[in-house]
Amino acid sequence: MSLRLSDLSACFEGVIPSIIATASADGAPNISYLSHVVRVDGEHVALSNQFFAKTAANVRANPKVTLMLVDGLTGDQFLLDISFVRSIDAGPLFDRIAGQLAASSAQVGMSDVMRLRSADVFRVRGIEKVPSPVAATAPAPRRAPVDLPALADAIRAIGRQAEAGAIIDSLLCGVQQVLGYANALVLIHDSHRQSLITTGSIGYENSGLGSEIVSAGGMIGAAAASGQTIKVSDMSRVRRFGEAIGLEAGATENTTRTVVFPQLPMAMSQIAVPMVTRGVVAGVLFIESTERLAFSEEDAAALDILAGQAANALRASEGEAAAAETGHATATPEPAATETDIRIVCHRFDDSVFVDGVYIVKGVAGALLRLMIEWRLGEGRSEFTNREMRLAAGARMPEIKDNLETRLLLLRRRLDEKQAPIRVVRIGRGRVRLEAGGPLALTVRD
Amino acid sequence: MTMTMRLDDRLLEFLRRPLMCIIAGVDQTGRPSAGRGVGFNVLEDRTTIDLIFSGWQWPRLVSDIRQTGRLAVTFVSPADYVSFQLKGRADLSETEVPNADHAARFITAATDELQRLGVAPHVIAPWLTAQGARLARLSIQEIYIQTPGPHAGMMTGAEVR
Repeated sequence: MSLRLSDLSACFEGVIPSIIATASADGAPNISYLSHVVRVDGEHVALSNQFFAKTAANVRANPKVTLMLVDGLTGDQFLLDISFVRSIDAGPLFDRIAGQLAASSAQVGMSDVMRLRSADVFRVRGIEKVPSPVAATAPAPRRAPVDLPALADAIRAIGRQAEAGAIIDSLLCGVQQVLGYANALVLIHDSHRQSLITTGSIGYENSGLGSEIVSAGGMIGAAAASGQTIKVSDMSRVRRFGEAIGLEAGATENTTRTVVFPQLPMAMSQIAVPMVTRGVVAGVLFIESTERLAFSEEDAAALDILAGQAANALRASEGEAAAAETGHATATPEPAATETDIRIVCHRFDDSVFVDGVYIVKGVAGALLRLMIEWRLGEGRSEFTNREMRLAAGARMPEIKDNLETRLLLLRRRLDEKQAPIRVVRIGRGRVRLEAGGPLALTVRD
Repeated sequence: MTMTMRLDDRLLEFLRRPLMCIIAGVDQTGRPSAGRGVGFNVLEDRTTIDLIFSGWQWPRLVSDIRQTGRLAVTFVSPADYVSFQLKGRADLSETEVPNADHAARFITAATDELQRLGVAPHVIAPWLTAQGARLARLSIQEIYIQTPGPHAGMMTGAEVR
């Protein structure tokens, strides 16, 4: 065939519905729209076909099928001569299709009624382009290929980092430099709060550090739960999953104890890439763009590589921080009593912490801050090791054995962002110092 | 005797909405073809519908209708995906002047509706053309609900005679 499936990548975005024509054994044609078509490899496509029993029956009685695909960028139409091979209802390919279906269902506002039971795999026997009445006056908009040497540089840069903050910053830098996307977030999984917490951010007016997405919610939650990349290529028909637009972030944080999720106004494409290491989803890399169909298959593959490298580096960083710890750190004197007290209020029910009336953080990061403050006040020391924090908090929050570094990173960044009079400074592998601009006055409430 | 189905008032009301139209034929070997319709006209008996499509763009539809006369057409409302499929026997004829008007109205309504839903005009343009228009006169024998959901594929309540 002169046209190859790989030439049709913009047809597989789920933006413009595909069409399937079948015929029964006795020669009666049938035609319907399809919710999603997935390119399996160079010669096969898979179709999700939830409802149309007639189509399913026809392809089993008569494997000859005609598929119409539409390029979401140009509107060009293609007719594919395909034949039924087999049906699948489990396995990695099925999971991939189910994940893509979840995203495309959201695009058409039908996530409630679309649930994949099985998918049919077809061999592609021929592809022809449908004549277009539109004269090709200018070359169609095309996406630039991924720059592989730049990707390799970005992978090496992430691999060189040992500290969680530098790893996340390198990942976001790679997203920007290799693929040119200016708005990106890194969310780290928090099983204690059943959520994903924004721990790194570029390109947003409000960084959103500390904002949370419920683990089961929206495409970010779905990417984390399924371990599959999920993208939306045309937001014009999608209800935004985020929180209400236009909230004054700083003004509401102190009353809601909730950081507003960052928003890119006029976003048209979004992609959520799970950060997987050894089969465990550590977090999600989330990127958005004001362009329709911004994220090509190649982009998704490059992001998958970057996210995986960062997940591995974060895991190694936790291990190194734990291995480097040695006993209790040294004591440091409290600042002079003449300075103004720094009022710290901790709430037990959600582990939230306020410093001089300003909401800082909650959950594991809040619990760690309270722990350090209590040690500082009780034992007169300001330097702490990951190990002692893990021992002290691990019974109530067992998951911190795997992600203490990212929790401390979130805490450090929130204190910096809120310009708080106390800071947590990393002073070495597995060690931090709590710095305060005055004496601490701690109140713990239920 | 072949049964025919009559479009009821509810279906006629549906057909007045801005719609997209997709058509399938089949050749003698059982291989189906697909194309897009760009206009239609329900005849007074309500059991026959004239479908307009571009013979230039969808030549296989032309040859398939000539070969077997079997045809299926699905109308979908892009705003809410409500869809109905009609099936039956079809004959080809050259289009006539009134049908050119039907095509122009259909293309304008569909284009406006898709643009309202956020599809860019340059993306829509390749789909809707009446170049080399052909007319297939379909005698309706079956009508199905095609809206995605639990009722998809069910025969619907048109009158039988």
